[in-house]
Amino acid sequence: MSDKADPQTMADFFKPRLNARFKTWLKICANCALCADTCHFYLANDRKPEMIPAYKVRFINEILKGKVTIDDDYLKKMYETVYYECNMCRRCALYCPFGIDIGLMVGLQRAMLHNVADIQPAGLKSAIESYKQFGNQMSLTQEDWVDTIEWTLEEMEDYYPTLDIPIDKENVDLLYTVNAREPKFYPQDIQEAAIIFNAVGESWTVPSVDGWDDTNLAMFCGDLGTSKMLVEKTFKQAEKLKAKRVAITE
Amino acid sequence: MDFYAFVEGPLTWVAILTFLIGIVVRGILYYNASKKTDKMIHKYFSWKWVFSTYAKWLLPNNVTFKKQPLYYLTVYLFHICIVMLPVFAYQHIVMWEMSRFGWSWISLPAGLAKWMTLAVVFIGLFLIGRRAIHPDLKLLTKSSDYLLLALTILPFLTGYLAAHATLGTTGFLAENMQLFHMLSGQLMLILIPFTKLSHAVLFFFSRGATAVEFGRRGYSM
Repeated sequence: MSDKADPQTMADFFKPRLNARFKTWLKICANCALCADTCHFYLANDRKPEMIPAYKVRFINEILKGKVTIDDDYLKKMYETVYYECNMCRRCALYCPFGIDIGLMVGLQRAMLHNVADIQPAGLKSAIESYKQFGNQMSLTQEDWVDTIEWTLEEMEDYYPTLDIPIDKENVDLLYTVNAREPKFYPQDIQEAAIIFNAVGESWTVPSVDGWDDTNLAMFCGDLGTSKMLVEKTFKQAEKLKAKRVAITE
Repeated sequence: MDFYAFVEGPLTWVAILTFLIGIVVRGILYYNASKKTDKMIHKYFSWKWVFSTYAKWLLPNNVTFKKQPLYYLTVYLFHICIVMLPVFAYQHIVMWEMSRFGWSWISLPAGLAKWMTLAVVFIGLFLIGRRAIHPDLKLLTKSSDYLLLALTILPFLTGYLAAHATLGTTGFLAENMQLFHMLSGQLMLILIPFTKLSHAVLFFFSRGATAVEFGRRGYSM
């Protein structure tokens, strides 16, 4: 457990982030368990009571009340609950008579773990480091990205002689962005999108610089600073190229 | 002023005013906090989503009803009786007629009111029993859940016993049943704004907010 991770700091993290809805939900939840069998984790684990959505937000109240011992075991349990027993699909919110959105509050608990206790899945941690250093989750440089577009296009020349992937074209309808895994591992996905766009005569372009990766893994552990930076990069490109809309990959 | 007169008079007013002012203040506090901390909800606010969610959830016309119709209708009946009886029981209306206001309005037929009261008591006991047995509920339930359920049943149980003199006319309990009825009713009124029972008013805000959140994505809850 890091030095930062004392219970008071955790409570102080929660307090300003508990909006009117969260506070009300934590107060009025009737513990009726109607959310139980709306949850695929509950159903897939033989209806294990610990998988009830309402039970997965208990950490907020416990930490705020200060009645539990917060040690490594407690944080480990919390980590497992908020990452491996809930994927924030918000289905339970649709079935709750009060409309309590457990997913959002699980998101807040993830944010606390990441920002205060520095606990998060290793994959998300390395993706965030890559975002900060390279602007995309796959540690590609801008040259890697543009190169990939260019050789992708060359490879298709024989089959689609008129095919084009416009880079930094201005005044287009669509600014097309991809998952950074595509240039890294699956360039055929970019080719297929290009084939469709060309076939329908779409006015489109891809940006040559940061902003082309539309994944936002930082969001999943509540790193809102990085999350915001990524969205801003994409919108900056859209504004610079005067694109009407931003499209994201499938 | 003896104790009975005190409970019947001033304490009743204290309870009713605490309840009325309490739920209004709860609503105002929610609204003000929400203006500051839930800006998205206010930005995308639309009565369309809010009314449609009320229509679905104040009537048995929603996904949870379809999923668990029996449980939903049971709890639905429980709530209807709890809200209707205090306002429309003729014994209560008589008290309003005799008060300084002299107000009067339509009352529930005595026979129906009797069954509604029994429904609250038995559904309440069923809900308590369910919490004690069902593994899911056992995990979630806190002592306050039992306490609030018991306190919710109490005014209806004592009201039934007082109205029908079930326990006879002699003995400490029977002689004071009306007093217990008033005290338990007042306790419940006073507790509503301060406990989980505040869902009586916060339900509308919570549902409304979530309905706006999902509604702006085109999903009507």
